[in-house]
Amino acid sequence: MSDDTFTASVRIAAPPAEVFPYLTDAALVVRWMGDWADLQPEPGGTLALDINGVPIRGEYLVVEPPHRLVFTWGAAGNDVLGPGSTTVEILLRADGGDTVLELAHRDLPPDEVPKHGDGWDHFLTRLVVAASGGEPGPDPWTNP
Amino acid sequence: MNTDAVLRALAEPQRRRILTLIRDGELPAGEIAGHFDITHQAVSQHLRVLKEAGVLRERREGTRRLYAIRPEAIESVRAFLEDLWPASLARLKATVESDRAAKTRRGA
Repeated sequence: MSDDTFTASVRIAAPPAEVFPYLTDAALVVRWMGDWADLQPEPGGTLALDINGVPIRGEYLVVEPPHRLVFTWGAAGNDVLGPGSTTVEILLRADGGDTVLELAHRDLPPDEVPKHGDGWDHFLTRLVVAASGGEPGPDPWTNP
Repeated sequence: MNTDAVLRALAEPQRRRILTLIRDGELPAGEIAGHFDITHQAVSQHLRVLKEAGVLRERREGTRRLYAIRPEAIESVRAFLEDLWPASLARLKATVESDRAAKTRRGA
């Protein structure tokens, strides 16, 4: 994994055609991420997702049900990590009756804590945007 | 450290500006407020939120209050990032699979 890409994957006990709508249908998306969504899942369509009050905004680049979805991901009103500044690609692969979902979040600003300079605001912004997926749930820091 | 509180504290642009101001060292509240157009009271409120979230520490020196970043708060959030997508995808998996189980029960 390169420095500017974060990857994650999960196996889901349902075929890709059943999983895909959970990535593009606003009512289904908010059941696992965010509190409000307005999605136009077609190339050039907009993605708007509010998570813990952070307005995530982006644009769909590739929409190929049920196997591939690419969209940009940024924060509204943010110069450093504005809409379109990072890219998320999700691939769904059938495996038996399951789906193996692989996600890559690219073009993220560096994740080290900068000591000086402009990197600091990049860093803070990245924290806010990336961590905005952390809706109330298990807090891994309760027992660090 | 409550990561959720840290994130909420960081979500506000002016609070991030405060952190940018003091990233290289401790500053008194008055000097921080001097960088903002908003009222000193509003700046104090932001400082309070940051302090309560554990992002800042406050030290009194005579009548002055000095603020500095607590790096461990930032580090804890950075580590939290490592769990962001995995945690979201785990919820996606749980949602899809529980819907599927419910449909199967209804269909049975």
